[in-house]
Amino acid sequence: MTDVREVAAQAVRAADGDEADVLVLSERSGLARFASSEVHQPTLIENCVVTLRVIRDGKIGTASTNRIDEEGLRGLVRRAGEAADSAVAEEGFPGLAEPQALPDADGYDEGVAAIGPEEQARHARAAIDAGSSVELFGFFTSGVTEAAVASTTGLEAHQRMTDATTLVVASGERASGYATQTSWSADGIDAAAVGREASEKAARTRDAKTIDPAPYRAVLEPYALADLIGYFSFDGFSANGLLEGRSYLAGRLGEKIVDEKVSISDDALDPRGLPKRFDFEGVPKQRVPLIENGVAKGVVWDRTSAARAGEGHETTGHAPPHVYRQYGPLTFALSVAGGEVDSLDELCELVGDGIYVTRLHYLGVVDPREGVITGMTRDGTFRIRDGKVAEPLVNLRFTVSVPQLLEDVPGLGRETTLVNASDFYGERYPIGTLVPAIATARFNITGVGSEPGL
Amino acid sequence: MRELCRAAVDAAVGAGASYADARAVVRRAQGVSTKNGRVENVSDTETEGIGVRVLVAGAWGFACDRRLDEAGARDAALRACAFARASGGRGDKALVPPAATSGTYRTQFEVDPFAVSLGDKVALCLRAEAALKHDDVKVTEAFVRAQRERKALFTSDGAEIEQELVECGAGIDALALSDGVFQIRSYPSAHGGSSQQGGWEYVEGLGLEREAPRVAEQAAALLRADVCPSSVTTVVIDAEQMELQVHESVGHPIELDRVYGTEAAYAGTSFLKPADLGSLRYGSERMNVTADSTTPGGLGTFGFDDEGVPARREPIVVEGVLRNFLTSRETAERIGVGAGGSMRADGWNRMPLVRMTNLHLEPGEGSFEDLLADVDDGIYLETNKSWSIDDKRLNFQFGTQIAWKIENGKLGRMLRDATYTGITPEFWGSLDAVAGPEAWKMQGLTNCGKGQPGQAAHVSHGASPARFRNVQVGVKA
Repeated sequence: MTDVREVAAQAVRAADGDEADVLVLSERSGLARFASSEVHQPTLIENCVVTLRVIRDGKIGTASTNRIDEEGLRGLVRRAGEAADSAVAEEGFPGLAEPQALPDADGYDEGVAAIGPEEQARHARAAIDAGSSVELFGFFTSGVTEAAVASTTGLEAHQRMTDATTLVVASGERASGYATQTSWSADGIDAAAVGREASEKAARTRDAKTIDPAPYRAVLEPYALADLIGYFSFDGFSANGLLEGRSYLAGRLGEKIVDEKVSISDDALDPRGLPKRFDFEGVPKQRVPLIENGVAKGVVWDRTSAARAGEGHETTGHAPPHVYRQYGPLTFALSVAGGEVDSLDELCELVGDGIYVTRLHYLGVVDPREGVITGMTRDGTFRIRDGKVAEPLVNLRFTVSVPQLLEDVPGLGRETTLVNASDFYGERYPIGTLVPAIATARFNITGVGSEPGL
Repeated sequence: MRELCRAAVDAAVGAGASYADARAVVRRAQGVSTKNGRVENVSDTETEGIGVRVLVAGAWGFACDRRLDEAGARDAALRACAFARASGGRGDKALVPPAATSGTYRTQFEVDPFAVSLGDKVALCLRAEAALKHDDVKVTEAFVRAQRERKALFTSDGAEIEQELVECGAGIDALALSDGVFQIRSYPSAHGGSSQQGGWEYVEGLGLEREAPRVAEQAAALLRADVCPSSVTTVVIDAEQMELQVHESVGHPIELDRVYGTEAAYAGTSFLKPADLGSLRYGSERMNVTADSTTPGGLGTFGFDDEGVPARREPIVVEGVLRNFLTSRETAERIGVGAGGSMRADGWNRMPLVRMTNLHLEPGEGSFEDLLADVDDGIYLETNKSWSIDDKRLNFQFGTQIAWKIENGKLGRMLRDATYTGITPEFWGSLDAVAGPEAWKMQGLTNCGKGQPGQAAHVSHGASPARFRNVQVGVKA
């Protein structure tokens, strides 16, 4: 792969401004996508994108390119300079990050890096071959991502990352199941197990029944909770959301907002996740408590939002890529602490009478301020009766306030699962959410959908 | 670029591909956004490379290379063949015969969006934002964008295509906040404004500064509006929300790859079956939907799709009956109808997929006021705020930024936090009027997601306001 550190250094040297920083992101990946138990869209990607931010007289401009030869970098420097000249000086801009010691956070594994197209296809076939009575749809992907940040302040940050994900929807007439698995280490890859889990789930979903819309007690598998927390976080756990009043946490910091069993952080340093050492400005990553024992503790910050907020706020290492700066700092490593319940069966016992949700589909934020999210259940929804998983249910529409859902939590699973949080749009940058399964006293069903399956 | 594509295809065929196509793409984009009077982002991005798709022993393969030179073209071709071989196929894939041998296409415009300086773009945003000022509006935002994509396509069965597509767009948002109530109004469309193929005259014509005071006033007024009550009632939906309704509940279900299940792992499938073609009642007789990759200004407008199939206009739903799917050359061959024409890739490093181009709800007759006149008691819904729909595209729930009570044929008091929900064919079956051509307008969106790895498509939809009976509104958490 390209030496991203050298490209970053070249771009900073060539930059024409008072200050400049550069992010280089390279990717070498393969994704063996399958449908109807046949690999149908296998995609190999190699790319290297250089993003240069230049500051001239307090004005900031950004340009990017994937042409990393001399001519390409010359053009990059020119376009970044023109962009800066076109801007208006930004009052209160905190300047570029100074060099700091970076934490150890290793998320690179030679075993994953060595996976080539043949092996990617082999993992996909392993998932497919583990299927049984229904056809399988999904993918196996692995990749190496390398990030380097350099700046005129002398900052130099670099990290190599690997990630591998298997995802399977096992689906046939009136039946469907789902499973996925993500790891940065080859030890965490078992595509056949994913295929089996999805197939076994699908086999239990035939003859789905309907239920009346109403609030239900529920067990949510980690896949479902990861999606909900992820959507809630965009406004809820971001400094911009807090400062602009869109966050549920606005005006509630320090208050108990959910069940005391619930603790949520953003922790890119956790080796069980997809570790990162620094953000897109080269600032060291920190573990940030967001909700601790049910109490709202804080949100994630970058240098810009912290400077604008004043009052002693500092970056927590959550700057987005420069071209997405208007969205403000983002969570990239959400983590919900595990609880004291040993199994999904025990969570069902705590619920007693309710519904069991494997995963969610197509979430939409209805009201960010109140944390209201709608979506559908999919690929494994069941009734829970007498504390046990009972008959399968059709796909259900839910409309829930996430804080209400977390307000009364009978239990959380002890074990946490890393759930991939990337749909691989744009440049690859592995992100995931660490979550346990959860039992909730309120999961509001507002509509009834179709039977599972194709 | 054409010669590089030819070299890639030659290399793929030499390596055993029974079919190959290569696309070389150079894309440049500019974006400016401002917020609360500050310049948040001024960016100028470019990306280029070549993507090669092959069929080897009945298996597809795709690989790409950022180097636009012979080595990059050849490496991408050979890696695509290797991945296809490793993946293995279940049998040979057949494509409908190619319709084009060669062609060129360029977006027509008056003012090149890249000839407008970034400084002028920044100034426009700041002026528009200044016009959004209001005591209750806590956050103002303005943004403009421009994109130019040059691409060449060469296929092993004879297509040689070169195209240049130019588009631009803009939008403004006003976010109001008071006593814990948060409301947003946008113009000309939510979630990133609206874009169109063509020149900067489109952005100028939007009149951001002119519309900004109304947008701000409405955002502020929403803070004091009643919450939309829960009921089953008649709704009139504005053109913009209708465009999203068409996108989600017609556009995606008619993608034939979804019907065949190839998107099951991500975007989902479709409630439609191949056998539904020509017979399924999608909606009432007022429902007429057309796919048209020739619409002037449409973001899905081109000379040829990414398989080299010429652009065309075709009916999808005629008087409520399903008449066509969106197809690729492979899915058209499989169903035995159609010629492809909807294959589009997001840049050089993604495989083409069946995508919407421009999909329109055809106008009916009469005015917006005529739609209201026949409503004694109902809700008027305007501008999307939230959206969600199930994997078969049946059960949907949408929210709008603003609504009004309709009483005795007239708009009454403003309502906030409006949502409506339904089941696709039942909902379209309740369509009883579409306003006429004078109320028809088209908007372009740039965030249509599909595929693994993910791809964002740029598509346009045109619609007039429409009226539906017996719709559930006011879903509560």
